[in-house]
Amino acid sequence: MKLPHVDYEAPKTVSEAVELLAEHQDEASVLAGGQSLIPLLALRLAHPAVLIDINGIDELSAVSATDGWVAIGAMTREYLAEESGAVAEAVPLLAAALPLIGHEAIRSRGTIGGSLAHADPAAELPAVARALDAEFVVRGQSGERVVPAVEWFAGYLTTSRRPDELLVEVRFPTAGRGTGASFQEVARRHGDFAIVGLAASLTLSEGAISDARLAFAGISDVPVRAIDAEEFLIGEGPSPGLFDEAARRATDDIDPPADLHGSSEYRRKVAAALVRRSLRAAADNAYERQ
Amino acid sequence: MAAIAAERYTGASIKRSEDQRILTGAGRYVDDIKLPGMLHAAFVRSPLAHARVLSVDVTAARALPGVVAAFTGAELEEMTVPGPDALVALLGGAGPTPEFTLLATDKVRFAGDPVAIVIAESRYVAEDGCEIVEVGYDELPPVTNASFALDPGSPPLFANLGNNIARPHSRSEFGDVFATFADADRVMDFRIEVHRHQNVPMEGRGCVASYDAGLGVMTVCAATQSVHVSKIAVAMRLGIEQDKVRVLAGDVGGSFGLKIGASREELAVAAASRAVGRPVKWVEDRGENLTASGQAREESFDVRAAVSNDGDLLGLDVKMVIDTGSYPGMGTMVPATVEAMLPGPYKLAALGFESTAVTTNKAPYVAYRGPWASETFVRERVLDLIAKDLGLQPLEIRLRNVAPRTDPPSMMITGRPLAGVTTRESLERLAQVVDFPAFRRRQAEARARGRYLGIGVATFIEAAPGPRSPEGPTGPLGTESMRLRLEEDGIVALFTGQMPHGQSHQTTLAQIAADEFGVPFEQVHVVAGDTDVVPFGLTGGSRSATMAGGVALHGARQLKAKVLDFASHLMEASPRDLQITDGRVWVRGDPASAIAVAEVARRAASGQFGSGVDAHLEVEATFDGGEGGWSGGSHCAIVEVDAETGIVTVERYVVAEDCGALINPAIVEGQIRGGVAQGIGAVLLERSAYDEDGNCQSATFMDYLVPTACDIPRIEIEHLETVVLDADVNFRGVGEGGMIVAPPTVVNAIEDALSPFGVRIYEQHLPPARILELVAAGS
Amino acid sequence: MVDITLRINGATCTGSPEARKTLADFLRDDLNLTGTHLGCEHGVCGACTVIVDGRAVRSCLMLAVQAAGSEVTTIEGLAPDGGLGTLQQAMWDSHSFQCGFCTPGFVMQAVAFLGDHPDAGEQQIREALSGNICRCTGYQSIIDGVLLAAERNRER
Repeated sequence: MKLPHVDYEAPKTVSEAVELLAEHQDEASVLAGGQSLIPLLALRLAHPAVLIDINGIDELSAVSATDGWVAIGAMTREYLAEESGAVAEAVPLLAAALPLIGHEAIRSRGTIGGSLAHADPAAELPAVARALDAEFVVRGQSGERVVPAVEWFAGYLTTSRRPDELLVEVRFPTAGRGTGASFQEVARRHGDFAIVGLAASLTLSEGAISDARLAFAGISDVPVRAIDAEEFLIGEGPSPGLFDEAARRATDDIDPPADLHGSSEYRRKVAAALVRRSLRAAADNAYERQ
Repeated sequence: MAAIAAERYTGASIKRSEDQRILTGAGRYVDDIKLPGMLHAAFVRSPLAHARVLSVDVTAARALPGVVAAFTGAELEEMTVPGPDALVALLGGAGPTPEFTLLATDKVRFAGDPVAIVIAESRYVAEDGCEIVEVGYDELPPVTNASFALDPGSPPLFANLGNNIARPHSRSEFGDVFATFADADRVMDFRIEVHRHQNVPMEGRGCVASYDAGLGVMTVCAATQSVHVSKIAVAMRLGIEQDKVRVLAGDVGGSFGLKIGASREELAVAAASRAVGRPVKWVEDRGENLTASGQAREESFDVRAAVSNDGDLLGLDVKMVIDTGSYPGMGTMVPATVEAMLPGPYKLAALGFESTAVTTNKAPYVAYRGPWASETFVRERVLDLIAKDLGLQPLEIRLRNVAPRTDPPSMMITGRPLAGVTTRESLERLAQVVDFPAFRRRQAEARARGRYLGIGVATFIEAAPGPRSPEGPTGPLGTESMRLRLEEDGIVALFTGQMPHGQSHQTTLAQIAADEFGVPFEQVHVVAGDTDVVPFGLTGGSRSATMAGGVALHGARQLKAKVLDFASHLMEASPRDLQITDGRVWVRGDPASAIAVAEVARRAASGQFGSGVDAHLEVEATFDGGEGGWSGGSHCAIVEVDAETGIVTVERYVVAEDCGALINPAIVEGQIRGGVAQGIGAVLLERSAYDEDGNCQSATFMDYLVPTACDIPRIEIEHLETVVLDADVNFRGVGEGGMIVAPPTVVNAIEDALSPFGVRIYEQHLPPARILELVAAGS
Repeated sequence: MVDITLRINGATCTGSPEARKTLADFLRDDLNLTGTHLGCEHGVCGACTVIVDGRAVRSCLMLAVQAAGSEVTTIEGLAPDGGLGTLQQAMWDSHSFQCGFCTPGFVMQAVAFLGDHPDAGEQQIREALSGNICRCTGYQSIIDGVLLAAERNRER
């Protein structure tokens, strides 16, 4: 299971990387953490002509909190984001999801940007980004642009990044007072991809839900926001009956894929169970953060 | 157990001599071998499950820089001698022999069937070469399940068979089947299915083959369970005289039945190395291991049970269909053992058994740890289903049906005496260690709160090696040989045909020999893995504890007698008055007389003695198993099933086992736990899956799921160590037991957990989605 | 080919691997450090685990060229002079392994984990090692070895 021939570039700056991407376009693959890309190459499922290794670009690894946002450089290793006090404090949903990504050795190399640019719909970070309306900062030949999460995930393993663009940063909004988060998933084994996962966030204000976010992993070719269920929750007080109804609204009309690990009907049932469980946990966390 | 000298080592958890190298990365597995000029092989494999091969063009591959050679299946046939699978021939396989070739020539019969071999300077380049080999296929309808294979209209995989029956239907009866069923209070029908799953050793198959044209000698470094069986396979297939083939093995990274004989690919590698005149290495990658190395267990059973209203299992009538995949071998032999073992330790009065083996376009059926294990699954599942129908508890119905331990022993209806079987005691031990009534109370409280806990029990016996048979030992595995030699430096060397691949023979056999001979453990060396040096042998079938342990014991005793005979000339004492303790020979009662064993050896080698003195301190010992005996035990699992997600957690797992005397308790326990883990894996995680076109869907570790440290609880093990059958050798095997009985134990527990939903389970693989289907169907 | 310099087990090494060669293959083939094993080559089984710049990583998921300038520790480098480190000794005492093929990966992962979490309990250790696959042991003896090592480290 050896990798096929590939040319190799190791730019030192974002501009160099962008130039290389502009030159090679779809013939190039960006190598960040490698935890998703290298297996694809080893299985010879991908045959890029060029690997653009961005691990040597120093400017992509900063984590900073400013003005209602936490900005995470695309090359920030998942384990460092996990250890980051800024992330734990300001983006609890991301902090909840990070330990569920694979295993420690994967998180040693895997990156926030890499995972989100790979956009596996069963992965944890895309669901988190979609739940929080994260923003994706890309830089290309024509300059920088910011893509909201709702536009970023375009299809299965497909983002709206143009071939000449490099994802340089992902910004997550800061969670306010009274916001509680929960990331839960059903996986075959500890550390596996989610069969179904759910990123949930609830904000409580004087006992009522003032904001609700529910984004699924694993029920479609992209992460999916349960908008109807979210709208239903606004203004209501948390209760098991409320969460049951939210679960129904979130899952009655979904048509998840079927594969070796679960039928469509199985995923639908599990999705509903996760809504009930995540909302309960998010509400508990929200009370604590009031 | 009179004769073991000082029980210092045997019975103790002596630390392994293997571990110094294992723990420091100094183990030598096949892929670690580097020979001068060595090349690497990779295989072109069929993407289709069933097709005619119209053309194979290796021209482009041959031209690729770094590629040294490429051969098609047809070219390999020219270089080799056709013949049957060596292991099947060795074990006396039955049924018509389909014609098949090392690499596919006219047809491919499963997705992954090798079609061409590319030899290059590196595995990277060999795979590059494989990508540009062009193969023309004419696709044929795939036969992907047994019911289609049984249909005479299904396209035959083998032209010379004419259909897809690998071993035709045959039926046996034991006892009066008709009367037993006619007189029974009730007759119950079940269809029980076991799914396809596989060995998955951490190290794949592989070898380094090297042919010395000058000497005419083929040397193969292999990952194998028997260097001699590999040698026979290589010699036969390559048309080389057996004494000109040498097979070596170092450390082997697990096998569980997979690496026996030589696979088609390994034989192709050997032929290719001879053709190119340089050593060639091939080690399969995980994709090859999961799709092409072989799979097991895909069997279905139509079962009728004759039952009394009080819960006696009077008789069974079973129809088995086994899916042997594409290149029949082991799969055709499994039904006979299933039949023989089906009664288990119970008082069954009648058994009707019939079986058919079919070929399908899937990977070939290979031996996997307890190949006959489905008999225990069927029997233990059926007992629970009967118990539920009659309102009996699982322990209760088993205790009712266990054959009493009598002298002479009860006979299994299929012919073997249940000598020394302690099923009753193991079930009673479970009841002591697991508080069943307390569990039932906890279960009821949990159900009231919407949590589903369950408890399951199953029991088994395995012929490890099995009771002594009146006809004596049969077959090449009926006796075990060992050569024992006192080396000039005082080392007691044991040359064994055993080929450890995790069983720790380097330690256990040394423990036995050290005790029997009278030297420190460190003074015994176990030599394995070289056909030029070790006698015939095979590690498998849970036989090594008895057979190899026994020959080590008796052989050490024989060598000691020889050494004492010789020493009597040095010490001017009668051999009767001499003893060996702690590595020294001395006259009983006179410690001052002691001389080191090493000194005795040195004197023997000095050539000072004339022909009247036998100074050749070596023996060739054989052992036929002595009284042999059964191993067995009862297992209990407590599980929790999340009825919303289908996720099953094994909360507690208890084993009450009886393998007679333990050579090394830590090693015995390791074997049991590893087997149980595979059994839990089979139920909750592992399935070799194919779609209806015959594409393998479990080709990576992301889809073929093996249990991890979060899936296997602490396994509690009670050792019964009871019935002494033999004057000297009472070690019995445990290699396969865990894997045989864990699946029904866990399935029984899951069904118990889901009983509020009215669930009945007739299958072995219960992933979360299936659990929810059962819950929905039951309610 | 890309020229690289890196430190392996405390010694400076150079090489010229193809860009596509994994760190695992570079260690095994170019440097003859065959203690690091290939169990799957797609990052699931953990047999190839080594320590790079203080972190356990799967060497089959890194290119050799990506390790340029890094400090790499393999199983061979854990206990110089042919001895056994604390964890290795504890695993020997605990009968942790059988066929040994998964061993280097487990040892390296456990060494890295215990270094960061010296007081970890059993459940934490199980989770930390759940990315390493063993087919022989059922894991209990491996966990016991790690627990014993942690206890002995605390006694120092």
